[in-house]
Amino acid sequence: MLSQPTTEQVILDCRKELLSTINDALADAPARIAVQMMENVLRNCAERAAHEIAWMREETDVMTAFAERVVASPASTPQVEGALAAYRAGRSDSLHLDDVSATYSLAGECLSTGLEAALAAGDDTLQMAGREVLELRLAHEQQIMGVWAMVGRAE
Amino acid sequence: MHDVGAMPERLARFLEARDGGRTATVVHYEAMVGGYSRSMARADVEWSDGSRESFVLRGDPPPGKALLESDRDVENALLRALTTSNAIPMPALRHYDHTGEHLGTKCLVLDFVQGKSLQSMLNERPAGDFGDHRLDLVDTMARIHSIDLDTVELPIQRPTDWSEYLGSLIDRFRQADIDYPESVPFLRYVGAWLDAHRPPPLPLRLVHSDFQPANIMVDQTGQHLMIDWELAHVGDPREDLGYYNVYSSASGPNMFVVDPEGFLARYREQTGFSEEAVNMSTMIYFSSLAAITVYAQVLGGAGALARGQNSGLMTTYNMNALTIGHTNFLAGCGAELKASV
Repeated sequence: MLSQPTTEQVILDCRKELLSTINDALADAPARIAVQMMENVLRNCAERAAHEIAWMREETDVMTAFAERVVASPASTPQVEGALAAYRAGRSDSLHLDDVSATYSLAGECLSTGLEAALAAGDDTLQMAGREVLELRLAHEQQIMGVWAMVGRAE
Repeated sequence: MHDVGAMPERLARFLEARDGGRTATVVHYEAMVGGYSRSMARADVEWSDGSRESFVLRGDPPPGKALLESDRDVENALLRALTTSNAIPMPALRHYDHTGEHLGTKCLVLDFVQGKSLQSMLNERPAGDFGDHRLDLVDTMARIHSIDLDTVELPIQRPTDWSEYLGSLIDRFRQADIDYPESVPFLRYVGAWLDAHRPPPLPLRLVHSDFQPANIMVDQTGQHLMIDWELAHVGDPREDLGYYNVYSSASGPNMFVVDPEGFLARYREQTGFSEEAVNMSTMIYFSSLAAITVYAQVLGGAGALARGQNSGLMTTYNMNALTIGHTNFLAGCGAELKASV
């Protein structure tokens, strides 16, 4: 396969064409709103195409490391231990997107149960550590989102 | 309703059958933009006696294309109940095609409001200059929350126990996580935090649940007419306060943040609620909690798309709103934690 131009570049090129050629040819207001929404979705997709596998792998590592920290503490619960066991049994090193996504979800459950355990135990330090993992996830989501507003709502 | 070319004729026959005497000609029909969850259209009608009327049609999107699911039968019954009791100004509900046989989908026919949405009016003003709109918005919200539920026969569930109700609202975080095809780690943590930090109770009232300036039409007299009641329910009135703050932070202007204490003081004055129940702390709490109603619907749509059960631009486009939700969920809970660690 040719890796250049990247998927990100191809999608952004489609977006440019949508805005420069198709949008200008439309007089219908709902169709123009749809183009604005598509422009936004294409930007989201371009950002995901460029980074999502790396981000999911990075977050998977920190989510499971957090859960292991919880398991090693008095805050541990059978739920977080079970989630970690399920992760270890189900994880994959494959870089195909579906496999990365499935592994990421198993790691997400580790974070969920770990945070619940930290909150229930009243362990503020652990809870803060878990929140930092959530903030990393949120930072990636916000980078995908970029600038976003509800188009057409004021009409 | 989805076949725009056929609608003028279908709508004319529908209106004539309900009028019983005059014939109708739909002289203008156009799909409206701005309605995210339902299909909307405007129709201008000329009657055989020379009179003219304009209507708004509000119907379900094609199957598998809905951003969120709600029931037109319930919305119709709710609008009739609120209109009959004169509880809150809103565009008059004129007709309802309850089968979709006439208009192609279950469809409400409402009076068209000669005016603009409050969102549109705010967008036209200089930045930071809200005129009377800020206090008017608070008063409109307070008016909804002041409706005596015993005077309106609402066709929706009416919980009576605040603690039980709040628990069910918080449980939506857990349920949203269970229903989605992958783990969403924000949800159970935020739900557990909210459960552990419950605010003082308030009487349960009618909650609009999508309270934002785009859902307030301002008529030519300046009166606010509330629209889009599909998510309305009986709940904690602070849900609307929190939702307004969250929504307006993402799609401004946010008229709360310019003077939060003044905003809340006006609300308390209009509703009679205490400062113990309505304050900055509870506002932050409900800014985190309240968005779950809409969030869960949008997440459900994204999940359905992932399972191949739904499609449509509205769903993919609004996935960004989930990021806004995550931002607000985290901001609303655990602020005391950062200070203590």
